[in-house]
Amino acid sequence: MTSMRVGPFSLETIRVGTGRPILLIHGVNPIHADAPFLAKLAAQGEVIAPSHPGFGGSPLPPDFDTMYDLVNLYLAVLDSIPADDVTVMGFCFGGWIAAELAVANPKRLGRLILVDPVGIKLSGREDRDIVHYFNTDPAELNRRSWRDPARRPAGIYGLGWQATISDAMTDQEMIALARNWDSLCLYAWKPHMYNPRLKDWLHRIGVPTKLIWGEFDAVVTPDFGRAYASLIPAAEFAVVKDAGHHPELEQPEEFVAAITAFLRPGR
Amino acid sequence: MAMELWNHCENPYPFVPAEVLDAAPSVRASLPNKYCEPEIAAQLYDEVFEEYQHCDDIGLHIVTNEHHSGINNLWAASPVITGIVARLTKKVRILSLGTLVTVRPDPVRVATEYASIDVLSRGRLDIGFVKSGATEMTSGDANPMRIREREWEAIDLIEKALTSNDGPFSWEGKFFTHAHVNIWPRPYQSPRPEFWAATSDLPTCAELGRRGIINTLLFGGYDRTKTAFDTYKKARATAGLPEPGEDRFSYMAFCYVGDTDAEAFRVGQKIPWFLTVSIKSAPQMAKFMPGQIAPEMTPAAWRAGASKRPTDLSVESLVRQGQMFCGNPDTVVRQIKDFRQRVGGVGRIILMTRQGLVTHAEAMKSFSLTAKEVLPQLQGLGPVDLDMPTAAQ
Repeated sequence: MTSMRVGPFSLETIRVGTGRPILLIHGVNPIHADAPFLAKLAAQGEVIAPSHPGFGGSPLPPDFDTMYDLVNLYLAVLDSIPADDVTVMGFCFGGWIAAELAVANPKRLGRLILVDPVGIKLSGREDRDIVHYFNTDPAELNRRSWRDPARRPAGIYGLGWQATISDAMTDQEMIALARNWDSLCLYAWKPHMYNPRLKDWLHRIGVPTKLIWGEFDAVVTPDFGRAYASLIPAAEFAVVKDAGHHPELEQPEEFVAAITAFLRPGR
Repeated sequence: MAMELWNHCENPYPFVPAEVLDAAPSVRASLPNKYCEPEIAAQLYDEVFEEYQHCDDIGLHIVTNEHHSGINNLWAASPVITGIVARLTKKVRILSLGTLVTVRPDPVRVATEYASIDVLSRGRLDIGFVKSGATEMTSGDANPMRIREREWEAIDLIEKALTSNDGPFSWEGKFFTHAHVNIWPRPYQSPRPEFWAATSDLPTCAELGRRGIINTLLFGGYDRTKTAFDTYKKARATAGLPEPGEDRFSYMAFCYVGDTDAEAFRVGQKIPWFLTVSIKSAPQMAKFMPGQIAPEMTPAAWRAGASKRPTDLSVESLVRQGQMFCGNPDTVVRQIKDFRQRVGGVGRIILMTRQGLVTHAEAMKSFSLTAKEVLPQLQGLGPVDLDMPTAAQ
């Protein structure tokens, strides 16, 4: 674990692998250093995975509390990476950040991968596209987030983590999860997990884009994902079989296989 | 010292079948309103307003509050209810404790509502602030993060709106913006109605002390209440401000006054319904709601068997912990005097009597006894004897 300095902000950051940079923008919890997909991804390039302010070991400045802050922070992170072909990969809530980032068309962005992202509103005013993270029973959230909750790697947590709390967890784990949950809420309580204007600007995304979706994601469904992809010029859409909202955790091999060709240089 | 007694009723709705409540994940925020029968609710409103009018006749001040979407409280909009009480009463003071400023989008509108009530009551309004509980964040769709800061900014804006008399001002704060603030009418009281805040959060108590806002604790018991009041006093002393009088301190407890201790304990046992039934909340609206406790406190709250909910909710236990005053009038006087000693002085006691399954007739009887036989014995009290044993000792 290293630390990245971006302007006045300090971000706890994982760096593994070498080669073309792949910037990971995490979702509910920071990328876990032991997540099996991480080592596989590191074979494709230099993986850079910061923790957002308020998550993991990254401090939360007193007035840092909006998506606007996060988008500008990650634009600054991109500026700080000395390469012109950075792949940005956003997961879940981080997929929303990545989509906002790509709409701004930063010059260092080479390609975009969105993994079960939230961030847009498609259906009618009485229909929800995104299951409410903070107002759903944790057991239900856990059920909706995994094809098989038993496949969650030990010590690594996704959405519905509250249902998996046990006395075997360390105090540090509980404190970290609580802090991440608080920070997520700060950024995304209302409107819940989306920017009402984002969908009308997705057409500005000019880089090769791939959306990856867990076949059985019941937090944001694959149909929502297909509609999301249709709003981005030349976006590909692929499903990871037998996975829920976190395909990178539930089916790491299939997940990496689904993006390997897309990451190949010269594409 | 002349102690004030206040009657607080949340107007609970204890008529939903037990099997419905048992099956529901939460009796607040998400319980379908098909279980609230309007005819019964109308009867409850009539009864409690009649109790408030009785309090006006006999000299018990009145507290209203608001909670939403649950069996614990039919006062869904404190300013609406307080406005009605202001018109139904003539003499006593009325405290709105309060509308939920962390949920309300526009503090200027809150200031306008309160100023109107102050005028129509001819200056009998006190304004109370509460941070709100977790289920209120759900029912009010209000971000539960940073609500302490949001509450203070709301209070600041409300205060400025109530006390500005020379035309529009603008507000561009972190949580609220309002380009043109100029409320009509201005409050009847000058410069503004008294402010109260309900909290045992120590940094907040300190800030209340520096501002001279009345600090009330709800069911805090001896130790937490004394710690809060001491924090208030210390913050004032540190800031070089005068020592606060007992009128800056308030305490809310359950209460039933009967002809005999036995009668009071029998009826009083209907009150802890508030704790046994009306608090049940789904986990996402309770221990997993963001922002409710510091992350460092979560292991203590989340580990198996970590529930802090008291298991013994008998009247005897609640009385022993200073969370209930119950008995014949002399017994209750003794309990309140003892409480005052043990927390180092408190001038305004709020009594929660019409709670749970207590009936209208039972409540009316307790109010009469409280006003006639308890209140007179709490006038002309000497200073708190600081040499007497206190909770901290």
